Order: sequence, then C-alpha cells, then structure tokens
Amino acid sequence: MTFPGRDPEVDALRTDRYLDSLLAAGDRRASHAPADAALDSSLVAAANRLRRDLVRVHPSFRFEERLALRLAEAAASMRLAPAAGGEGSVTTLAVHRAEAGDGPGDDGGDDGIHPLLIRGALTSAALSIAGAAYVAWRRTRPASNASPMARAVRAARAGRVRAANARAGLD
Amino acid sequence: MARPVFGRGNEARATSRITHLDRDRPLVEAARADPQRFDALYRRYLAQVYNFAFYELRDHHAAEDATERTFLSALASLDRFEERARPADGDGASTFRVWLFRIARNAIATERRYRTRHPATDLAAAGAVPDGSDPEAEAALRDEAAEAWRAVAKLPADRRRAVVLRFVDEMSTAEIAGVLGRSEGAVRVLLHRALRSVAGDLTRGR
Repeated sequence: MTFPGRDPEVDALRTDRYLDSLLAAGDRRASHAPADAALDSSLVAAANRLRRDLVRVHPSFRFEERLALRLAEAAASMRLAPAAGGEGSVTTLAVHRAEAGDGPGDDGGDDGIHPLLIRGALTSAALSIAGAAYVAWRRTRPASNASPMARAVRAARAGRVRAANARAGLD
Repeated sequence: MARPVFGRGNEARATSRITHLDRDRPLVEAARADPQRFDALYRRYLAQVYNFAFYELRDHHAAEDATERTFLSALASLDRFEERARPADGDGASTFRVWLFRIARNAIATERRYRTRHPATDLAAAGAVPDGSDPEAEAALRDEAAEAWRAVAKLPADRRRAVVLRFVDEMSTAEIAGVLGRSEGAVRVLLHRALRSVAGDLTRGR
C-alpha cells in the first residue's frame, strides 16, 4: 500500500531493498525471512509467498545433453570456416629477391614487395613454399647422388620415352 | 572543493558493481577464441533461461524450443556482444547475462507467435516434486503455489517478467532494467506495483 503524501519511488526503493535482503536470506538458507517494519505487511507477505512458491524448474537431462550436442556441432562448424580461408585478408610483406634466390622469371625489375594471403590460408601457403623449395632442391641435386631406386625409375622412364619416340618415327 | 571521502566511496561502489556485472568475461573471451568453450556459458545459464521461458510460455516443449533458439543464436552472434559496465548506460548496454536474456525475450516472443493456437499447460503441474511423505501437505503446497502463480499470471506482461526475473532468476534491478530496456527506477516501480497487485489478489483469495 502507498501511503498518501509519500513518494511512490521511495516506496519502490524500500521494497527493492527488502527484496534484496529477502533473496540474500534465501542464498544464506536463513530460517527466518527478514523483517521491515516500515514496509506494508501485505507487501512483505506477498514477497515471501512469491519467494517460496515461484519454484525453479530444470529442463530434462535429455534436453540439456541434446542441446549441448547441437551447440558443439555448431561450434565445430564455426571453427572449420576459418580453416577454409574464407576470412583471409591480403597484406603486403617485404620479400627481398636476393634472399629468396634467383629463379625463372626473376627479372629484378620490381621492388621486391608482393601481396601475401594470410590468416586462413597461412597453412596452405607454408606448405606451398615448402613444396617449391623441395622441387628446387631436387632439381639442383646431381644424378650421381640419387638412390638405386631413383636410378631404376629414371631408366624405366627413359625406356618408355625411347619406345614412344620409335613408334612415332623420331629415332 | 572536492569531497574525497564521498568520491572514494562512490568509486568503490562503482567498481564493485562493474566486477559483479562483468563476471562472465573470462568465459566469454574463451568462447570467442574457441567456440567449443561456449559450453561453459551454456551450462551456467541453461536453467535460468529455461525458467524464464517456462514461466512466460507455461509449456515445457515451448520453453525447450525457445531455450534452444536462444543459445544457438547467442553462439552464432557472440562476436557482436559488447560488454558494458552497466545496463543503465543505454539501449545497447549489457553484460553477457543481460544480453542473453534479451535474446531469450525475443525467442520467447517468436515461440509465442508460433504457438498461439496451442493451449498452455497449467503451471501448477510444475510445483515442488512430491516425496510422498505427506500427500495432504504436498497438495496444499501445490494449491498455494498455483494460487501465487495465478496472481502473477494476471499481471501486465512487463510486471510479470520483472517478477519472474527477480524471484526465479534472482536478477538485480540493474540487470532486469537491461533485459527489459527500462531504467532501474522504472523497474523498481514495476516490481512494487506488481507486489501490490499480488498482495491484493492473495488477500482476496483467502
């Protein structure tokens, strides 16, 4: 009840403070509800009723786990998206050709700065660089150092090339 | 001249409130870095969101659907969540819980639109789980719980939501203000008037 001549906001503030103490008493598992002589007793009784009777309900365990699974699947798909490189951005990194070594098409006419896709495609870019380095290393490697298996493969390949040339009348 | 004593007191209160409202920051940051870690936030707030939905929709299946929509939407838009110190700061102000309950409020509204043709289940069925030791006392408790809920269900929507968020989800006035998009003063008045209505109903029911 609001008493005549009293500011309703003051009453509301007093009620709010009582609710704070009531909920805090619940957290402490206090045996008695707090009292406030200045507050209308019917409001106090109503607040205590609601505190007691508005029970908390919990969803079923089955629902909880089913939704957890759905969220995990959604989260996994969110993690996969960056791996595809969809959110990659182009930035410029200084790459000096002298350090990278001379190669085909390297005319030395540019400033040595090239755009590079980073973030999502970083892994694949690293793999490509490693692959190119391996091919370059293999090309510079003398044949005499090859393993017996590699020599056998090359001999077989040379035989197939010769046979093909003979069929085409090139020999 | 400044009054340092009052100034320190105010700062201390403000810091305390910010700490309270931003308590989910580590979990939110972890979930942003790795979406799989959203699970911790989900487990923390599942029951609260479900309660809010259940008291609003009065049907377990509808509450489950609204809860599911709420968390999937929150996970998908976690990057858009902006942590603010106080809900009273403005429309977009929120902590994670306030932000989550605003999503829940929209999900519940959507769910209600889809289920307008379906009858609601009586909330009294969700009363305390009976242990069988005193059936008469249990029945009386259930009747009282149903009576209290009927009094709450008659309230206008904003007053009813404020009551559920305050008594069931135990939110502070500031948090409820953030969820409902009202000022803290307006929420206090909503709760005060709601209690007056409920008190009147319960008194007349005797």
